[in-house]
This record gives sequence, structure tokens and C-alpha cells, in this order.
Amino acid sequence: MIGFPKILHQLHLFEEEGVPYAADLDKARVVELSAVMLDILKLAETQTDDVIVETLSASYKEEDISGAFERFAELEREGLLFNRGEDLERSLATESKWRKLLVAIPGINVDSFFDIETLSAGTNMALAHMITHLTKYADLHFTGSRNRKITDGVYEVDIGIGDLVRLRSKIAETYYGILTLHQEHDRWLLPLYRHPEFPPILVQNHAPRGHGGQAINSMLRHYAAMRDWDGFTAPSDYVRDFYSEYVWDPSFFNTLRNGVDATLFKPMEKMVAKKEIAAEVGDDRIESVPTVGYLSRVQSEKGASVYVKLAELNPHLIFLIAGPNMGRYASRKLPDNLVYIGFHPRERLPLIYNAFDVYCFMSMSGEETFGLTVLEAMACGVPPIVPNFDGVPSVVGDAGLVANAENFDHDIATFVSYPCPVDFSEKINTLLNNADMWQVLSEKARQRAALFTWDKTARRIVRLFEELHQKKKLANPNRLLNVFTPTQPSEDNARRGEGTSPLQYMSLVLSMNAHYERCLMRDAAYPLSVEDGVALSILKNHTTREVEALLAALIPDETQARTTLKRVRGLIDGTA
Amino acid sequence: MLSHTRYRLKQHHKFEQDDQKYVADLETGDIVEINDIEWEILSRYESQTHHQIVEELKKDYKLTAIFDGIERLERLGKQGSLLHPVVEAVEQIDPDRKLKLLVPFHFTKEKSALGYVTNLNRYQSLTHLAEFADLETLAFPEAEKEEVQDLDEVRVRNISGAKSGTLMSPWYAMDGYDGILLLSQFLTDDLSYYRIPDVPIVHCIEGDQRLQHILLRTLLTLCAFQSSKDTLVVKASWMKAWLAESGASVENVRVIPDGIDIVESTGDKALAKQHTAAIFEKPIFVEKPTIGLISGFEPNRGAAWISEFARTNPHLAIFVYDAMLVGAGSPSPYHPPENVAIFNIDDEETRAILPVFFQALDLVCFPAMPGTPLPIVLEAMAFGTPCIAMTKYGMPPEVIGAGVAVEAEWDNFGNFRTPMVKLSETINKWLQPSDTRTQCQGFAKEIAQRYTRKNAAQALIQVFEEGFQRRINDFRTERTLFAPIFCRRYEPDTGTLRSSVYRLGTNRYDQFENALAEVLADAHTPAEVESVFKHFQRKHSTPICDTIRAGNRFPDNKKSVTGGT
Repeated sequence: MIGFPKILHQLHLFEEEGVPYAADLDKARVVELSAVMLDILKLAETQTDDVIVETLSASYKEEDISGAFERFAELEREGLLFNRGEDLERSLATESKWRKLLVAIPGINVDSFFDIETLSAGTNMALAHMITHLTKYADLHFTGSRNRKITDGVYEVDIGIGDLVRLRSKIAETYYGILTLHQEHDRWLLPLYRHPEFPPILVQNHAPRGHGGQAINSMLRHYAAMRDWDGFTAPSDYVRDFYSEYVWDPSFFNTLRNGVDATLFKPMEKMVAKKEIAAEVGDDRIESVPTVGYLSRVQSEKGASVYVKLAELNPHLIFLIAGPNMGRYASRKLPDNLVYIGFHPRERLPLIYNAFDVYCFMSMSGEETFGLTVLEAMACGVPPIVPNFDGVPSVVGDAGLVANAENFDHDIATFVSYPCPVDFSEKINTLLNNADMWQVLSEKARQRAALFTWDKTARRIVRLFEELHQKKKLANPNRLLNVFTPTQPSEDNARRGEGTSPLQYMSLVLSMNAHYERCLMRDAAYPLSVEDGVALSILKNHTTREVEALLAALIPDETQARTTLKRVRGLIDGTA
Repeated sequence: MLSHTRYRLKQHHKFEQDDQKYVADLETGDIVEINDIEWEILSRYESQTHHQIVEELKKDYKLTAIFDGIERLERLGKQGSLLHPVVEAVEQIDPDRKLKLLVPFHFTKEKSALGYVTNLNRYQSLTHLAEFADLETLAFPEAEKEEVQDLDEVRVRNISGAKSGTLMSPWYAMDGYDGILLLSQFLTDDLSYYRIPDVPIVHCIEGDQRLQHILLRTLLTLCAFQSSKDTLVVKASWMKAWLAESGASVENVRVIPDGIDIVESTGDKALAKQHTAAIFEKPIFVEKPTIGLISGFEPNRGAAWISEFARTNPHLAIFVYDAMLVGAGSPSPYHPPENVAIFNIDDEETRAILPVFFQALDLVCFPAMPGTPLPIVLEAMAFGTPCIAMTKYGMPPEVIGAGVAVEAEWDNFGNFRTPMVKLSETINKWLQPSDTRTQCQGFAKEIAQRYTRKNAAQALIQVFEEGFQRRINDFRTERTLFAPIFCRRYEPDTGTLRSSVYRLGTNRYDQFENALAEVLADAHTPAEVESVFKHFQRKHSTPICDTIRAGNRFPDNKKSVTGGT
């Protein structure tokens, strides 16, 4: 038994060569039916299982009916024919006021984005904030396996990752854009770029490198495959610039800075905060001795071992650690001035930050692109000290100190940097010994943090989608026709005796295009270099970024290669 | 782009729901939203050609939208939806029916650039071809009163109302022709006809002396444009040999010499010699043996060679036929040695006089090179005169049995060399009566029967028929490949980027060169792909070349264009 009545998808029933079919328009799939299945479907929205069985028992054998029920159960599991979850149709029609964005982040529990307390990783935290603020400007529909409303303007829809390609026309009609997260192992996203129907796809990229080059390579594949109107976001200008060194068209990377919630993270009376923490952990020294703070998972990648060194180097200071637990450091003998102050829920974090006199951020991992906690500390008026590494200094600006770090040209294990403990130590002491300096930086930190709001982040996303739509309008198909041909070398070249072959090669572009139109003014064929010709040919079914990779291999001089691409692109756009 | 791949519609079902049109692919279970145009195209796809579909729908829809619709559906086909690529023969043509051939021409433009003989031959071959095929050409009159009338044997199809010429003439050539005969020597608009799928093209290229400097380029370009249904026709065997020597594929190159018209021989050689001597005011033509030199030389270098030849052989009277050294358009006045007379046909009168000189000849001598007009050589020999061919390709098959070959060298820039002493010896030997000479004379006389205009026209028809046969094998079987994405790859060991290919489906990096060849082969012939790879092979500095050279991986035919997945 299956539980009729059920809400059916939008179905079109038809017969072809005597076989009944149901075209499921919500899933863009055709399902072959039997006669009994067809009759059941006609009753499915109004009758219960029992009534259906009773009604049809006159015309069909019992086992045929039960077979049909089994088949329907199977189809339902595949997401076909029957609406799974709530009937969103009506609520969407009345409630929706904004542009709709399809958010496709497979493998992540949608609810977790709206239950920030359960989140610990910075990326997820950032996503959660961003998503919450984005609902002020767009309805968000998360890909999933049932239809339901999560909160105002946020829905889960029964569109699986595997449905996307089939549903591309519908998605184009419904959604202003697709928002997703770059995860290097994902394989579902790359094929989507091959379909011009999809609306712009904006891919958030948080980890610029690491994993033995896999992160970069995955990004380079996406960059190559993306349509002219897709793009990446990067959390800082640093990351955007980092990628620009690997590609010719950095316009595919857009800075999308994180924000900080200034109503939650704000300065408070420092002594009050210190007292409260001191009382909690039972250590008076927190009240009397200057404090250095660390808020992160206690792991090598986050610089935990460097932090331990800092404590050893500075016995006159107290080094506080806030994190889920002490991890492998729990079983070690640690310096006496290193104090673990526990794991705290989100609403208590302002108190923690305020108990720090200086905040140390010392991640060494290749995935560190922003440093959300730095911003939170700054919002609380705590001057940060960060390593001169990746995106973090650009967040701090002149509102903190930047300590030396050894940056590696490529990653080793998960490390791409090593913060210099001595310099960190010096900078900590400088700051704590200079009250004026501390005061100035504290104020600057607060002011600078105020510039980073989640609202700005959300508005920037909407703006980016608008820009991508513009790029879509500017995209042109390539209908030019060209051939490659050997040609007679000039007498000069022949005399110089270039090569062994007596021939040279060239390409010719016709003045007639694939639609049999004359697209160039005069001659029937214009000679091009083979390089230009290859670019022109490949641009018929491949992206400009793919041709970038091609020309980079074919033309040793990069300037020349870039000029070639620019020139061919110009010809295509000009003749479109 | 209208694909050259053919598709067949799969079992499908079209339907409308809530004002939206859909088509369901019953084989894959996919449902695709389609627009009105695509709906109309699908209704016609199985029974009509692209041309018919567009012509029928263009009343109601914008042209671009129709083409885009076809493109989208065929792209779906490529991805495995709705359409299936097919490998099946197109319909055979009825052998009893006269072929209908399109002959696009811009004769007026070309006429002045070609020699009188070439123009005459072209006119004659069309006239004779009309016996075996219906010939038609296209005209695009702006208004009805400008309609072009039929041109002798060639019917004119006036296409009016083609909205301000949106579609170029190749579009109309797709409709209702068994083949296209291209005659243009200058690669003007004719090249665009090569983008028409399915219709065999025969392109005839003249060995006109005036075109020598561009001839190789023209031939190579045409070879590149050809698909296997198309044929390039050259007028002499040495042109094909030269092309092969240059590295082009000559699989689809045929040699069809123009036919010749022979006047009745007077049979009185002495009288012919007297006339010749009188016309040129050179008594040597009566006194000494007469050599006919049919020249195809580049004029400046040719003049020098002819002078040297004449001085080396003062005992010979030399009649030179050269289209460029005398008459209108000759570059500079050439003053040949005393024993040389130079002649050229440039009107009916000179045409009529030529046989007189030819009947006076004792031996015909010619360089087997592109500028040498084979019909003039044959005509010179047809009164029973043996020949000496100066050649690097061996005795030309057209005159085998009627003379002897002397080895010669020449290059593409007009430099011609032959060992003068050896040449003189051979000439002297062949001027002596001998059994061989008598045999050759007999053979030479038969030339007139062999090279008739009718035979040339029939040979051309035969070439079209071969084109149909090859067309049947011409379908590209499109395998469903794992789509390649060209991208760069970061190598952590060296911190550098190199170009690679990533395949969707297998989710792996793959051979860059294979993918390039495979993607190019989608829209280009194997010969073109080879051109591309050879080009980069020659540029030793590029990284791709080393790999290609190592594996010699460029495809030499369709079969080897495989994706190494």
C-alpha cells in the first residue's frame, strides 16, 4: 500500500503505439505505464488505496493492481510522478516577492544553515550568515529531495543534483541564478556549464590552494568550462589576485567579502569580560596579567603549535585558547601560562573576544582566505596580529599588526606557510607595551570591522548575478567557417630553407557563415594564421577559456598568445 | 552551423501543456521544452532536407531563428537526446536521368585574366557538357526586368525576392542539383559552395601560363576545401604529379585534358614550312628542321631559357608557342635569336593560322610544367609529330608512345633547367628517320581521336558519378565521446601550469593532442587536421611539437581520429 491520495506532479498522459505513458513535467521524465497504472493515476489525487483497489478490482487482477502499487512506490522513491513533501505550488505563487535563486550545495544539511549554533567551520558559518542576509533580496530554493518551506523566503525543493540538466529549461524560467559552492571533488557541476540554457552560475570559492594542487586544478577546470556568464566569488582581493596569476581573464573572479554582525560583536568593558572568564575557569591571572587570545580549532593547521611556542616565549603573559577542545594537545605538558577557556556558543563569543587584549590569528593552511574570527575580534575592538599570508592581511588593513611568515611556493601536506614565532612574539609585546598604540588600533579595528557587513555581502551577490546577466547578453555565437590549408612558401622563405617541408600552412575564413549569410564584406576567403584558425575553430564548441589553455600550449610567447585570442574573439563578436 | 552529420528522429511524442510545447524522447525518457519553431522543425525533420525546412518556415519565422532551432535540436542529438546520428546511404541517382548541374560563374571577371585559349576551351567544354547534363547557373536580379537570359547552353535560374540577398548563393545550390561544377580559378565566392553538405563538387583548374604564380596555392587550397565527395580536376598529368610532390593528398584529384579540334591536314609539310617561313620572314624554317617548342615558362626566365636553347642549336628552326612573350600583355619586348619565331593565339584569326605552323613541325618539344597548355601540345602533335617531353615526372601518360622524355628540373618560382647537350642529342637523334619515329608518328596522329571534347565531357560526368559513390561512404560516424575540456593544469612539483584536457564522464586528464585532433575533426577534414599538426610540428619551439613528433600522432585518416580515453 502506498498511501493515496497523493498530489501528482504536473503530468501529461499520452499513448504512443498502444503504450500509455506519463510525461512528468516537474521532473522532465517520461514514465511508461501499464493500463492499470494509468487507471490508478486517474484516481490517485482523490481516492485512498482501498477505494482504488475496490474500484479497479472489477477490471484488473489483484496481482496486477498490487504490482502497479509496487511500481508506483518505486517511482516515488525516484522522485517521479508524485509530489514529495508539501504542496509548494500554491505558497510559492502567493508568497514569492523576490527573484529566486537556486542554491545547490549537495551534501550539506539545509537546516544547518538556519541553526548557526551547530556550525563551527568558518566557511559554513560564513555561508550561513550570507544566506540569512540574502533572503532580504532573493528567495532561496535549496536543491533537495522534497518540497517544503524552511523559513520565510527559503525553501527546499525536490530538485536533485541529478535532475538539473533535464530540468534546465524550467530552471532557466524560474531562477535568476544558481548559487553554489566550489568543492574540488564535486563532479556534478562541471557538466552543467555545457548547457547554455542555465541561468548564470555563481560559484563561491573559499580555498584557493592546498591538497597537492588539487584545489587549484579543480578551479582551473571550472574556469575553463564556465560559460561567459558564470563566475567565481573569492572572499578577498588577495584570493582574486592569486587566481589572476593562473588565468588570463581575472574578471571571472569577484571579491565577495564576508561580513560581521556588529550588533552582536561589539566592545564591552574589558575588565568585566576578563573577570567573568577568570571566574569560569578559576584562574585569577586572567584579571591581572595582559591576555593574548586564540579562537579556533586547536590543530596544527590553525597554528596551535606556534601558539604554544608563543606562550613559552612569553611567560609574563597569559595565552588563552577558546576552541571545541584541546585535541592532541590535551595529552601534552603545556606551559603554565597557556589557559584553555572552553568552547562557547555563538552568543558568548563577544565576551570571549573582549577578554583578549590582543588577538592572534596564525593559520598555516592553504584554505585560509579571509579569517572571519579576525573580523569578529576587530568588531570587539581587539587589535589583531596576523601572519603576512594569503588573504588575511587585506582584511586587517592598518587596523592591526602583520607579522612575518614563511610562505611556501607550493603546499606541503596541508601547509603553505609558517608564521614566524619570534616576530609574532615581538609584535605582541610591542602592542601590549604601548597603550597609545593599542588604543589607536583598537579604535581602527572597530571602525574597519564596521565596513564589513553581511548585508553588503548579500547585496553584492545580487549585484554579481545582475552583472552575469549582462555578460550573458553580450555573449555571441561563433558561426564563422574556416579551413586549414597548406600553402606555397614565399620565395624568401624558400631560400632561407626553413624546415624540410616545402609547404607552409594557413587558415582561411570564409565570408559566408554557417547560416549562409555573407558576414564579411568582400573576398570569399581571408587568410589567417593557423593559430588564429585553430582558435576560431575551437571556439565553435568550446569556451574562450578553453582556447586560452589551447593557445598557451600552441604559442610559446604568452603576449602573442593573448593577442591571438583577443583578435579572434573580436572577429567572432564583430561578425555575430 | 548546419551539421554535416545526419540525424534521424528517435521515437518521440510532441505535446502541448499550459501553452508550453514539449517533446518526449521515448528512448531515453527525457522531456525537452521546445519553442514553436522547433516544433515545426521536428514535424518536418524526418521527411525534409534542411533546405526545404528553412524555405518553408521562412515565411513565418526569422531565418536566424530557424537555423538556431535546427542547431539546437542537432546539439541535443549530439548529446544523445531526440536525434540519433545515422550512418546510412543517401539515395542513389537514376543512371538514366541526365544530371542536373549547377555552374556558378563569374566569367566576365575572370575572362580578362585568362588566355584566349583557356577561355575558348572553357566555353567549348560547357557546350559539350550540355549534351550530357542540364546546366544551370544562378542570378540574383534586383528587379524582374533585370532578369538574366539563358547563356547559350546554360540555363539561368533567376532568384528573385531573396530578401536583400540575406542568403548567399550556396544556399540555393543545396536545392535540386546533382552536382556543382566550379570553374573559378581565383577562389572567389566559389569557395563557399564547399560548405554545402552532400552535393558533389567538381572544380576544374586550368594550367594557364598566366596563372602559374598562383596555381600551387589555388590547388592546395582547393584540396583543403574538398571533402571526399568532391573532386579537383586538373588539365594535365604533370599538374597532379606536381601537387603530389608538394605534399598534398591527391586522392580526389583527376586528370581530364581538354579536348582539341583538329583541322584537316593538308598533308604537305613542305608547303606548311614555306608558309611559316614567309609569315615570320625567316627562311630558316624552310632550310632547317623545325622544332615546335610549346612553352609554359615564367616569361622572364623562359625568355632566357629559349635564347640559350636557340643558341645551343643554331642548326634548328624553332617555333615557340608562348602565351606571354608576344602579343597583348607581354611583359617586355623579347628579341629572340634569329632562328626563333614566337607565336601566340589571341583571337580567331591567330587561332585559324596556328595549324599551318603545326603542320610544318618535325618535332614537338615541351616542358611538362603547369603553365604548359596540354591542348596546344596535343594539337601540335596531332598532325603526326613526335614529341620530347622535358619532365621530372616521367613521360606524361597523355603522350606515351608518341615520343620520349628528357629529364628536367624546375621549381615553383619558374626556374627551369635541363641538360642542354643531352637535349640537343635527343633532338638530333629523333629528327633522323627511324622505325621508332615512324611508330611515334602514327601514335601522334591518333591523338586527335583520343582527345575529343566529347570524351572530356563524358569524363567529367564520370567524375560526378564517382563523387556520388564516395558521398555514400562520406558519413562521419559520430561516437559519443566524453566531452573534452581544454584547461590548464597546475603541477605542484614544479609550480608551473601546462595545458591539458579534462574529460567529463571519465573525470580524468587526457592527451591534449588527441583531443585537439578529435575536436578539429568535428568540423574539418583529415587533411586540414593534418595541416594544423604539421604547422605546429614545424615550429620546433612549441611544446606540443615534441609530443607530436615523438608519437607522430596526427591523424592521417578518419579512423585514427580517436579519443584516447
